[in-house]
This record gives sequence, C-alpha cells and structure tokens, in this order.
Amino acid sequence: MSNNTATFEITVAAGESAPPSNSFSKTDEAIRYLSTILPSIPSSLSSSSNPSLSLLHDPEISTHISALLRRPSAGTGDDNLCRWLYDAFQSGDPGLHLVVLRYIPLLAGAYLSLATLWRPLAGFEAILLALYSHETTSRAGQPVTVNVPDMSHPSLYHESTSPAKNNSTALNLSIVSPTLEPHGAVRSTRRARIVGVALELYFGKIHEMPKSSKIDFCEFCRVWAGDRDDDRNKQSDPSRVGEVNDSEDGVAGRRIPLPWELLQPILRILGHCVMARWANDKEVFDAAKDACRSLHVRAVHDTNAKAILAAESLLRLGNMASLELTNEDEAADPTEIPTTNILTLN
Amino acid sequence: MDSGEYEHDMASREVCANGVCMKATDVEAKLDEGNIQEAESSLREGLSLNFEEARALLGKLEYQRGNVEGALRVFEGIDLQAAIQRLQPSLVEKPPSKKGRTRTESQHAVSQHAASLVLEAIYLKAKSLQKLGRLTESAQECKSVLDAVEKIFKQGIPDVEVDNKLQEIVSHAVELLPELWKQAGWHQEAISAYRRALLGLWNLENDCCTRIQKAFAVFLLYSGVEAGPPSLGVQIDSSYVPKNNLEEAILLLMILLRKFHLGKTKWDPSVMEHLTFALSVCNQTSVLAKQVEEIMPGIYHRVDRWNSLALCYSGAGQNKAALNLLRKSLHKHERPDDLMALLLAAKICSEDSYLAAEGVGYAKRAISNAEQQAEHLKGVGLHMLGLCLGKQAKICSSDFERSRLHSEALKSLDGAIALEHNNSDLIFDLGVQYAEHRNLNAALRYAKEFIDETGGSVIKGWRLLALVLSAQQRFSESEVVTDAAFDETAKWDQGPLLRLKAKLKISQSLPMDAIETYRYLLALVQAQRKSFGPFRVNPQVEDDKFNEFEVWHGVMFEGRGQTQEALGTYIGAFLVDPHYVPCKILLGSLMLKMGSDALPVTRSLLSDALRIDPTNRKAWYYLGMVHRDDGRIADATDCFQAASMLEESDPIESFSSLY
Repeated sequence: MSNNTATFEITVAAGESAPPSNSFSKTDEAIRYLSTILPSIPSSLSSSSNPSLSLLHDPEISTHISALLRRPSAGTGDDNLCRWLYDAFQSGDPGLHLVVLRYIPLLAGAYLSLATLWRPLAGFEAILLALYSHETTSRAGQPVTVNVPDMSHPSLYHESTSPAKNNSTALNLSIVSPTLEPHGAVRSTRRARIVGVALELYFGKIHEMPKSSKIDFCEFCRVWAGDRDDDRNKQSDPSRVGEVNDSEDGVAGRRIPLPWELLQPILRILGHCVMARWANDKEVFDAAKDACRSLHVRAVHDTNAKAILAAESLLRLGNMASLELTNEDEAADPTEIPTTNILTLN
Repeated sequence: MDSGEYEHDMASREVCANGVCMKATDVEAKLDEGNIQEAESSLREGLSLNFEEARALLGKLEYQRGNVEGALRVFEGIDLQAAIQRLQPSLVEKPPSKKGRTRTESQHAVSQHAASLVLEAIYLKAKSLQKLGRLTESAQECKSVLDAVEKIFKQGIPDVEVDNKLQEIVSHAVELLPELWKQAGWHQEAISAYRRALLGLWNLENDCCTRIQKAFAVFLLYSGVEAGPPSLGVQIDSSYVPKNNLEEAILLLMILLRKFHLGKTKWDPSVMEHLTFALSVCNQTSVLAKQVEEIMPGIYHRVDRWNSLALCYSGAGQNKAALNLLRKSLHKHERPDDLMALLLAAKICSEDSYLAAEGVGYAKRAISNAEQQAEHLKGVGLHMLGLCLGKQAKICSSDFERSRLHSEALKSLDGAIALEHNNSDLIFDLGVQYAEHRNLNAALRYAKEFIDETGGSVIKGWRLLALVLSAQQRFSESEVVTDAAFDETAKWDQGPLLRLKAKLKISQSLPMDAIETYRYLLALVQAQRKSFGPFRVNPQVEDDKFNEFEVWHGVMFEGRGQTQEALGTYIGAFLVDPHYVPCKILLGSLMLKMGSDALPVTRSLLSDALRIDPTNRKAWYYLGMVHRDDGRIADATDCFQAASMLEESDPIESFSSLY
C-alpha cells in the first residue's frame, strides 16, 4: 500500500457504486492493511467466520485504534488510520460501515476538540465528509420531518371521538434533520452540521455498537458540556492509553459550542444509552446518566430551553430506571402466570 | 403472597382435575426421581386424564415450583403442533347461525377447554425457555401461541364467549412476544410483534394494552432501529398513519396521555417524560405546551407546571408567554428562589430594552441564590445581569445614567468571565459590549478570542471581528477577515458577508468593486428564492427584516426625487416598527428638506433615534442640521462635533446588528 497519502483527497460521490459482492475479500483486504498500521492484530481475526463482526467487537483492536485516535497528532492528512477508516467506509461493505461508525464517538470527540486549535485535520474530515455525503445521497438531500399527530383525528392506533373532518387539520410539521447540501470540504461554520450528521448515522446503528463505543461517547459528552471535574477523572484513569494529560493540547477534550444541530443527535444517542435497557448494561447506563447530568448543567448555563427540557426528562427517566433496577426483584412480571396452591386443568 | 407464606403452603399444594385431587408433593417426588413417565401415569390414573392433559399439568407443576428445565423436558414430550392441528377444525366450523346455538356453545366450551390446555402448555414452554435465556426459541414458541389463536379465531377473539383462562394466556403471549424478540436482538421481528399486538383483535384488557403501547413507544424512541411505516394493509383511509419512529412514538404517547385523561389508566409520570423528550428533540415544544396544559390539576405542582410551560414556550420562541408564566412562578408567594426560572426570566428580559430593568432584578436574585444553592451558576447570573444592564442603558434618557449602566454592565460581564473563562457566548457578548462602548481594543481582543474558542464556526464571530476592525478604520484588514469568513461559510450563508464586503469597498472608495459585490449578493438572493421550499432552515442567518425592505424602497423613491412616495413608504415602515432607528433617521433627513415648519417634528424624530442608538453618527449630523436651520449655532456645533468624533470609531454596520 502506498504511503503517498499527502494527496489524500475526498471523493464526494461516495463509493456506493462498488458491487456489493465479495464482502469477504473486502474485509480480508481491510484487515491486511490494518495489520500494517496497528502494532499487532489477533490471529483469531483472519480465521473468524465473520471477520467484520470480529473487527467490530475485538477488544484488542479497539484498544489499539482508540489509542491511535487519541494521539495529539491524529487526524492529519497523512494519518494512515484515517486513511484506513476512510477506505473501509468507502468500500460500501455494510460490515465495514459498522466498524467505522463504531469509532465515530472517538473520532468526533478528538476532531471537535482539536478543530478549535486550527490544526489541519484532513484525515478526520475526509471520514466525516464521506459519512455526510453517504447520507446526502441516500436521503437525496431531503430533510427528515415529523408531522405531529392531532389527537382529534383518528389514527392507526386510536379512534377519534369527534367525527373525522377532511384533511383540513393544522399540521404540526417540524424538521428533525434539515436539508443536506453537498459539501466537498469542511467549512468551519458547517462543522457542527457535518459531525451532527455522522452522529445521526451512529444513532441509526447504535443497536449494533459495542458497549465501549457508547461509553466513549458518553465520556466525550461530559467533556463537550464542560464538566469541570472531568480533567481530574481522566488523569487518574490508567486505561486511557496514549492520552496526553496536557490540557493545553486539547486532546483530553474541551468545552465546545453546542448548537442544536450537534446537541439534538447527542441527546438521541444518550436517550438510547439511558433507556434501551434491553441493549445496554449498567456501565453504559451509568456513563449515560453522568453525561445527561453534565449536559443538563450545560443547558442551564446556556439557558437553552429546549435542551433543558430534553436533558431534564432524560435525567428523570434515568432516575426512574435506577429505582426500577434496584426494585427489579420485587417488580411483578405481567407476563407471569399466577402461582396457585391448587393446580387444575382449567 | 410473600415467600415465607408460600414456603409454608408448599406442603398443602394439590393437583386437581375431574373432581379428584392429589397431593402435589407425591407427584413431585416421582419427578424428582427423574421419572416423568411414572409421574404422568400416576396423574392419568389418579385424575382420569389423557396423555396430553397429564403432561400439561406436570409441566405446569414443574414450572410453578421453579424447575424450568424439568418443565421444558415435560413439555418437549408433547407434540403441541399436532395438538393445535387437531384443535382447528372443531372451532373453525363454528356456524354463525343463531339456530344451532346451544349445540355450538357446548361444543365451544369443550374446544376452548382443549385449546387453553394446549396453548397454556406452549406458553409455559416459551416462559421456561425465556428463563433459561434461550430467547429466540422462546420467541418462536410464543409466536406459535399467537399463530394458533389467529387460526382458531379467525374473526378475532370474541368479547364474551371466551373463558378467562384462555384470554389470560393470549394476553400474556401478546405482551411477551415483542419483549422476547427485542431481548434476543431481533429488532424488526419485535416491531412487527408490537404492531401485531396493538392492531390485532386480541380483546386485551386496558392495562395490558397500555403496557404494550408504552413499551413500543420506548422501543421506537430509543432503539435506533428505524421501523419504517406500517404496511398498507393496516392503513385506513383518512386516518393518521405515522411514517417514522418519532411520529409513531409520539402518537402512542399521546394516546396514553389521553387514556389517562379519560380515566382509563393510572397516571404514569414516565409517559410525560418520554413525550417531553420526543417533542423537544423534534422542536415541537409548542405542542408539548398544549399537552402540559391539558394535564389535570393535582398531578404537578402548579409552579412546576408553570416552569415547564415557560420552557416549552421559550423553546418555541414565544418568549412573552414564557415570561408571563415565570412572573407567576417567581412571585414571592410561590417559588421566588428557583434558579432556573430566574435565569430564564433574566435571559428573556435581556432581549428587550423595555424589559431589561425587570431582568436586572431577576439576575440579581439569581446571583444571590446561586451563592447559596449552586455556585457554578453564579457566572450565568452575572452574564445575564450584564446583558440586561447593557440593554437597559440603550433606552436610558440621561447620559449620566447611561454611562453608569454601561460600566456596570461591563463590570458584571467581567465578573462572569472570571468564573466562566471559556464560555463562548459570554466572550461574544463582552466583545459587543466593549464595541458599543467604543473600547475597540478590548472589543478586538474578545472578538479574536471568540473566533478561537469556537474554531471560527459561528458567522457572527467573523462579523464582529470585521466590524470592530472597520470601526478602527482598518478597512483592508476588515476585508481580509471577511474573505476568511467566506472560506468558512457555505454559499447560501454568505449574504450578510457580501453586504459587509460591499460596504467595505465603498469605505475604501472602490465603488465599482462594491457594485460587483452587490451584484453577487443579488444573484445569491435570487438563487435562494428559487431553490428553497418551506423546509429550508438556516440557523446562522438572521431573518431579513421586512422593514429593511420597505426602507430601501423609500430610499429609491427619494433618489428619484419622488419625495411624497418616499415619505409615504418611510411612514409605513415607521408604523410597523416605531423603534427602527434607520427609518427615523431617513425620515428625519427627508423632512429636513421640507422647510422650517417640519423642523420640530424632525428634531423629535432624531432625538428619539439618538435615545435608542446614542452612537449613531448620522442622527447627530442631521440633528446638527436641524439646530443650524433653527439658528442654534452652538448646539449645532456640538452635534457636528459628536458626529465627527463618532465617525472615527464608526463600524461599517451597527454592532447591534450582530444579534
């Protein structure tokens, strides 16, 4: 593989044209290239029956990749790992897509922290733009809208008490994700939107993401929100390989502006981590609750009403869930048959 | 029953059928020896049961005493699918006529008895598998219960004719199936199962249906799995069909709230929290306000309700309504020390000169409360105080008072920045305050700091820097900044920057370049009009004011010498917004040309303009002209002097245009 990555350029019309076949060979090739970037690769990977799934969940791989992404010098145009992630996404292989998305929390975290230092981050930006243009293509640039139901009209799930009038209802139409314009480069005023779209994609696959990826995300939320005791926590945590404790350097993360285009997908991801208990364990839940608390404090600092409402309701739901967790043994399972002393046929 | 009591009753448990009873422990002893056949035959003999009945009872016995592995072994010995096959004809042939009623009913009873026996066995098998963690198999068994029920009762489960036992099993299975798929990670199956539960004719009782609706809403909101719209088959004409997860979740949550309002279910606080989350995330806090208003008194404390409503209205941009609610909740007899409410009230007041004095009060209360409750919010209080004071200064009638308020505003903001040194909003506000105070060096420092702190991601930061430089008469540097801002901006957002650039060209006496830039701007505006439908949102570009349009219209009339038309247009704009300074000045300058009769009116217009915008160079200039025409030469000299001094520190566009 050539090292001539200085001319690392962005192909805007994502690599969807590639045939969907030979996903195995694509993954094999990706693994082969990855082995030239990482210090070591577990041998189990190539013998796995589903290599991209192993790539997604292997703890050793993720430790190595995370360490590389957290380097202060990460994300430049000649960063081989960025090149690998970019190629993996452009391969069009769904399994490799998931692998790339898995690192979006770390990537977005490092990127947003470093971007304010005016560092050249073409490597990070190429990946984010690839995700953005992928979404632009698949949505044909169209916005995602929500038409909030009016209860006085019947719906799929309910009948209306008042007789249905014609379609003259006042619709409450709102935009959840605005129109996507093609971007060939990250202009700083569009940075939040481009990262926001990557986070929207992450949310769409969050049920397939490993736990450590979600925890990374929750930790960055606290940093972005400007949680003050964060630096202390991070420095005492020995598991953060390769991280510099030099806060001037920005790699440990910093408080960033949180416009709605960023905050909204952040809140939805945290919503998953707090509420999708069938998919997450206690560790994710606790990390997400901490992140919600930080974001709520931040929302009050910004006196941002919408953010206060959303973060506060997540926090309350988290507290209710904690209570349910502690009382789980006592809680009655409504699908359990009643226990009786006299067993009869009917 | 608590567990102790249960232990105590263990010995007295019995297995009964056909009017005969056996001690449960006797049967269990046989099972414990691992001898299912023997246990089964003792039941068959003792209670006159057939093979399937005996097995079903044995399985239930094992299940109830918590031996799910044993239960599974027993159930695996029954061919449940064959039993279902046998069940079907007898029920399907059910004649709908009224004549043979008694006969069918008794036949019904027998069949239902058999059906519930088989279905309960399958259901318990599913539960056993669930408890063993074999979720996918469990879901398949559970699904076969529902499939069987659908085959047996083609018209849905009738309200009256079904015995309780059968209904109970069906309801359990309906509720359990989506949970099993969900936990096993089969998301699309879970979605279908939820919809099947809610759209099928299962005759579910209210509580059960409520639980399923809530669980589905939660799944839709938080799973991240896009469900896609329901199939066309279930859609009914003219009824609302949700087309994505958020819509479907919001619909279900609203239905749950309505059920509560109608007294059909218990109040569940989490439903309101989910709805709050969902509606805020999709920018519909005005709809949320309606839902909060509909909640009956007694659920929330009135102050909590007012505060929630205030947040909803403020989130929807209806700040007046929000402030009215906050005034109620912050009343001394209610909850005057609520920090969030105080800060929000202060923030809302800080956006309007006429409310600023009220806002100062809220901000001061917030600061003193923060010192006791939450030190970290003190900086926010100081920030709001600074904004309110700065706004208050704008409508101040005395110069002395104005400069006092201005320096207090700066003091507060400086105090805030000491506590929140990397709060970018605060840095920006400091920059603008210093700029308006004509402390341009300080303003420049904060403008640069803001751009660094935000990584240049906010357009208004670039504009602040360019305006401050232009006020320092450093036009070419200002242009460099504007050009840098172009590089960081997408084409559609470049309008305000183009306007700025054109003005900079004029200041540098380059009118042809300016015309060229205006031409770009015009092309951009036209292209924008063509390209965008109603969905275009641009978070970073301020709304073009209707008034500005009107005023430009007037300027054109004036340029063509059509004084009366120009006057008419200016007055029209004046009526729309009596506080719009550029209009006052243009009107004043036009009336200045209309002779001495108009001078008193002109003078009051211009004084008014200066009250709102005391650093407006043009207003000072025209006021000087009024004094001159009226023969007050000394006053005229003062005004001209002020105008000339201001010109040296005048930005190319007003600093207040940054908000």
